[in-house]
Amino acid sequence: MHEIGVLMEVVKSVERYAAENEVESIVTLVLQIGELSSMIPKYMKSLYPVAVEGTILDGSELNIEILPANGLCKSCNKVFKFLEYEGRCPICNGRNIEVLSGKEFFIKEIVCY
Amino acid sequence: MKPFKILEIKESVFEDNNRQADLLREELKNQNTFLLNLMSSPGSGKTTTLVKTINLLKDEMKIGVMEADIDSDVDAHTISDTGVKVIQLHTGGMCHLDADMTKQGLEGLNTKDMDLVILENVGNLVCPAEFDTGSSKNAMILSVPEGDDKPLKYPLMFQITDVLLINKIDVLEYFEFDLDKCIERVKNLNPNVKIITISAKTGEGIGEFADWLSMEVKRWNGK
Repeated sequence: MHEIGVLMEVVKSVERYAAENEVESIVTLVLQIGELSSMIPKYMKSLYPVAVEGTILDGSELNIEILPANGLCKSCNKVFKFLEYEGRCPICNGRNIEVLSGKEFFIKEIVCY
Repeated sequence: MKPFKILEIKESVFEDNNRQADLLREELKNQNTFLLNLMSSPGSGKTTTLVKTINLLKDEMKIGVMEADIDSDVDAHTISDTGVKVIQLHTGGMCHLDADMTKQGLEGLNTKDMDLVILENVGNLVCPAEFDTGSSKNAMILSVPEGDDKPLKYPLMFQITDVLLINKIDVLEYFEFDLDKCIERVKNLNPNVKIITISAKTGEGIGEFADWLSMEVKRWNGK
């Protein structure tokens, strides 16, 4: 359950960004979370109101976009959905896989006044 | 109603902390202080390992310790018995230390003339792995009773560590802990990691860890 600590880090970044860009109030925060990131969206959602209390994000809505996990098989160059095939190449069954995407954790954008 | 606007930030959440960590690392490099970030689960033997290691090194270099805990100062008292300077950091419920908190701790400890500062991070295998503290090197302890499957469950921690101490090796025969399998799992995640089997209780392997640490400190401090 480390989502709260990470959310507080998100709040710090957004506050800094808001101050630099003269943002008055924020309606929505959009995060992008990779399927292989250690953040669990459900916990993020339920902890969000606590993490943002008393900050510029207080009362705002949290939107989460999930980014898919893709793997590249280094033996046969096949790109495949990492989770669906459990990290194993569906063509040659190889395990020498480079994770191309899915570990991301981005603050995408804010909807604000 | 005022028109709203959408501002694209597109920033990695850890970027802010990573920036501060890099700055802190540079500062420490300039003042010739090596920072070791020590991480593990609760009860793996961090404090006992530290006490024995400090006793081997305290005559050859000036050492300071930062104890990070959610609450209490039990560990700080134990460490202060070795005679080195120690400071207790309370994270106030947070499960990890970030670069900013580490910096504040270093200021409180007054590390200017110290060769080695050891940060005993909060006992936890998840969050400390995700927040760069600004350390020169990362060390991690895994103890035998925790099981040889931990590298599979907490891969990031094993990926970012520079040295792994497998502690409580003196009780290996009483647990179903496959040492070879464990080492293979760790090497799969992190081929360059140095692995030392130790027993903080009997002192086995502590000398090897102290030698490694001493070498790294000298290299960092340009001696």
